[in-house]
Amino acid sequence: MKQPVAVVGVGQTHFKKRRDDVSIAGLIREAIDRALLDAQMELSDIDAVVIGKAPDAFEGIVMPELYLAGALGAAGKPLLRVHTAGSVGGSTVIVAAHQVITGIHSRVLAVAWEKQSEGNAQWGLAGGRSRGIGAGGAFAPWMRAYIHDTKAPEHIGWQVAVKDRRVAAKNPYAHLKMPDLTIEEVSESPMLWDPIRFHESCPSSDGACALVIADERVAGSQSRTPAWIHGLSVRSELAQFPGRNPVRVRAGVECAHDVYDQAGITDPRREIDMAELYVPFSWYEPMWLEGHDIAGHGEGWRMVDTGETELGGAFPVNPSGGVLSTNAIGASGAVRFAEAALQVRGLAGEHQVEGARTALAQAYGGAAQYFAMGVFRSTPPE
Amino acid sequence: MTVTDIAVVGVAQSASVRRSRLSEAQILVPTIAAAIEQAGIDRREVGFTCSGSCDYLTGGPFAFVSNLEAAGAWPPIAESHVEADGAFALYEAWVRLQEGDIDVALAFGSGKSSPSQPSEVWAQQLDPYFLAPLGLDPPSLAGLQARAVLDAGLATERDFAEVVARSRRNAAGNPHAQLRTPVDVEALLSQPYVRDPLRRHDLPPISDGAAAVVLARGDRARQLCERPAWIKGFDHRVEEHLPGLRDLTRSASTSLAAAKAGYDGGPLDVAEVSATFSPQEGILVRALGLDGDVAVNPSGGPLAANPVMAVGLVRIIEAATRIMDGQAQRALAHVTAGPLLQQNLVCYMEGEQ
Amino acid sequence: MSGAGASAVTKEDLVMNHLVRLSYREELSPNLDRFVDGLLEGKLVGQRCPSCARMYVPSKGYCPLCVVAMDESEAVEVAQVGTVTAFTVITPVPYYGQQQVDPFVYASVLLDGVDTPITGQDITGIPHEQVRSGLRVRAVWKPVEERDVSHISNRGWGGLDSVISSFEATGEPDASEDSYEEYAL
Repeated sequence: MKQPVAVVGVGQTHFKKRRDDVSIAGLIREAIDRALLDAQMELSDIDAVVIGKAPDAFEGIVMPELYLAGALGAAGKPLLRVHTAGSVGGSTVIVAAHQVITGIHSRVLAVAWEKQSEGNAQWGLAGGRSRGIGAGGAFAPWMRAYIHDTKAPEHIGWQVAVKDRRVAAKNPYAHLKMPDLTIEEVSESPMLWDPIRFHESCPSSDGACALVIADERVAGSQSRTPAWIHGLSVRSELAQFPGRNPVRVRAGVECAHDVYDQAGITDPRREIDMAELYVPFSWYEPMWLEGHDIAGHGEGWRMVDTGETELGGAFPVNPSGGVLSTNAIGASGAVRFAEAALQVRGLAGEHQVEGARTALAQAYGGAAQYFAMGVFRSTPPE
Repeated sequence: MTVTDIAVVGVAQSASVRRSRLSEAQILVPTIAAAIEQAGIDRREVGFTCSGSCDYLTGGPFAFVSNLEAAGAWPPIAESHVEADGAFALYEAWVRLQEGDIDVALAFGSGKSSPSQPSEVWAQQLDPYFLAPLGLDPPSLAGLQARAVLDAGLATERDFAEVVARSRRNAAGNPHAQLRTPVDVEALLSQPYVRDPLRRHDLPPISDGAAAVVLARGDRARQLCERPAWIKGFDHRVEEHLPGLRDLTRSASTSLAAAKAGYDGGPLDVAEVSATFSPQEGILVRALGLDGDVAVNPSGGPLAANPVMAVGLVRIIEAATRIMDGQAQRALAHVTAGPLLQQNLVCYMEGEQ
Repeated sequence: MSGAGASAVTKEDLVMNHLVRLSYREELSPNLDRFVDGLLEGKLVGQRCPSCARMYVPSKGYCPLCVVAMDESEAVEVAQVGTVTAFTVITPVPYYGQQQVDPFVYASVLLDGVDTPITGQDITGIPHEQVRSGLRVRAVWKPVEERDVSHISNRGWGGLDSVISSFEATGEPDASEDSYEEYAL
């Protein structure tokens, strides 16, 4: 019923503001072809395709996977479309993995994408109405509450932005690469949604990310190290209700503990070597470090402050540059999973975390209410 | 393929109506509650929840976020969503149950077609470069398919009308159906075409509605339900999108999904198929290899009630119900998505021997 | 396109504008209908959960915590004064249909006796930099003839700004943090 599975192929597109050199189908195939090359497979080797993206309104096509079926190589195969808001890329990988874990399929392709330049995401988020506040406006009060509650100094947010944008220069696929960005430049950039300034906010990108997930037999015969899946979990909670704590979100806490338990992790800060967390606004890095019990209350921002979350630090977070550098919304969660997988495979190139053997991937969405998390290791589960 | 014993143990559907004043979530609240009540479980026993809906039908992004409120998502739940019919949500829940760590899962689907012009909305489901700019709507596409069926000599316009007449006859006994008044074949054939060779009755009604299903595994299913509808096979397959690349008189992916689901073509007591336009019933009957003895769409089918995003899950409910109440031993449900039967799902169920 | 024979095709030639307009018409659900009737009369009407007694304004017609439907008998008019529980200042992002140009306050207001803050409210009668959690505010209604409820929908989007122009500071002492802490965000 439950068997070991691994990520054996990862592919990403180059992310840009406008990928007007390719159609939607071309964009997705770019990611798929790289993933298949990595997995040493052909499209015909794939048993099923699971695809995810955020709202259809972003590109203006209803259930676009149907028109994309041919380009996805899905004709004659099962094709399932996932949509769980911002967490969708992570959920897509998880839904695909379950099809292998259960033995229903042997090799499943998970692909997540967004081509935001085909439409207008701000319009889409606002449902076409005026006074749209964007995701930043919705999250700003919660970031303010975190700052108030933990007495975090304001430079923490700037520091996360500098870290992520600089390290993105080491990632060939990242969208915004700013190797020389300084704290001053971030602190002087325009305020968008207090406390979030321009450089502390994610861009709007075009791009796709694909992962090939395979069973033990296939994964064991790969020439490159697979990223073994040791834990997967999803949790959802209501967007708003009396008494909700949207800063330390219970769904996020429970989702994290579920994957730690599955992976046999009791001390995440010590036992996990690196994390790819969904940080679309700078303050979410310390918020998730605490919200997933990697750090104690008020300790998350101190990890940032002491450089612990930098590439080369004791607990690197988002060495890929993260969502702050690259945000094709539907793909972003899958990129977290893909980058975590690359790290334990030792294939992350210039942004490789030395000796990474256990990696955490996380995506969240909606009103910080949807969570998808996974733990990867370089060795198979016992 | 490994399959653990998983069965439908609780079902519910709202009445299908032309226009509901309630929000999707409001329609879902009593529907989900009824499915859970029929299963006889506490809501907290649900180990995984999956929903199906469509933003463009609701008319705004993240329609499923409101619908989550009807699922009881506090304390937090393990949950996912498909931008597809609730039947695909049920598939995901069925997969998840096979891991063996949870015993009960919930799937639901909901949609309101009344606020929009469905023909405008579904035109946006087509290839955005080559088809959508043409403004092709589902009835027009269905007209092309109907013409292909007629030209191939596979059916006559009278056959189409007879499908409709049987649908209405069957729906008369279905309290959830929308079009329940018996119609006369001759009278139908005297109506004008809306998309030659289709008449208005060959098209489905516009409906609002929701449906929910509780699945349980192994012994838990036997405890919860006197006669569970055991899922013996569950599969779905997609094919090329462009109608020009397909033989519209056949549904190859339906045949493939049935074969992959392990349906052996043996005798069935009931088949609920998603023939959204009357000429599609014959196509599906041939694709599934159904013989003359099987009751096809005893509920009336989508021609009598078409709550898009729930209508597929309703097929599974109607088939499962007939096993649970002892009327049927072997039942098959078929669900479709995309233009002209592009994607097809087959759920094959049996009762306890 | 490239190579011999591909004459003077520019990127602009390869862009196809496909603007789609879809219209949706939906009758308000009975609970929102009562809420909107109240707005036109200058009242704020909520609904109380029959199971847990929490008060929702506006109500969605069910309690998401108890997952039970609420009916007309649970409709109640509520106070028009309350407390700012959280806020931010939004710099508007331009997009088609966006009319807001200047930065605006986006505050959550917890009306007295209500369990759900009304999000997205403008705060007036006080400079932006003095807006704070705990601030006591009252609803400022637009003149009856200017009230527009056309954008309030079952989907819960649209806000109240075309009916209640803002919430203005009452001048009362600030509410203590523990009075609204549980409902802060």
